[in-house]
Amino acid sequence: MSFITQVLTALGWIVVALAVLPMLWLLFQPYLKGWSRAERRAADLLRDALTPEQFRQLVWRGYLEVPSPTEPQRVYRVPRTRGYIQVIENGRAVMRLCVQPVECLPDADLVVLHKLMIEANEEHYLQKANKYVCLD
Amino acid sequence: MLRVMSRRGDDRVTWDGQKVQAGDPEAMAAVREAERIFAQERAKGATAFRVEPGKPAQRIEQFDHTAEQIVIVPRVVGG
Repeated sequence: MSFITQVLTALGWIVVALAVLPMLWLLFQPYLKGWSRAERRAADLLRDALTPEQFRQLVWRGYLEVPSPTEPQRVYRVPRTRGYIQVIENGRAVMRLCVQPVECLPDADLVVLHKLMIEANEEHYLQKANKYVCLD
Repeated sequence: MLRVMSRRGDDRVTWDGQKVQAGDPEAMAAVREAERIFAQERAKGATAFRVEPGKPAQRIEQFDHTAEQIVIVPRVVGG
């Protein structure tokens, strides 16, 4: 094989690698992100803030249900990853809320933030939230 | 323990309550540092909660070094 062919082959592989790497990054990023220091610390806080039952619910169902401290028939459904918080009243979704911190936080911290705000500061939480009423 | 949520996960300041009561200088310094951070974050609009296992969280306005755990969350806005 001539030198020029070898160089062209090497260049070809470099081009293929450059094309594939971003795709691999997009594919594995969520898993790598889970291992970052920030995510690990946030996961520690999440485990400390939830009871074992709540933690199981979050892992298996993908959301945490936080009962309203003021309205017995109301439950807030906080997703494990970023997204709207569903407001369930008498077993029916009545509203979606969008509330976010001014600073970017790991997903696990967001779950804790919503839980704390709802449990201890519900009125303020609802004041701040953008509300989207669910229509049947 | 004081935990401040941030993009880095959470920053922590810990102290030993018994050593604070005994007047240990290192523990007292940790409490002072936690108190300073508490005031600084509150001034930025953050909210502080006292968190104890198995109990609903409680919002607090003043730093309390007897709390088992204080969690500070950043200011929130409608998304």
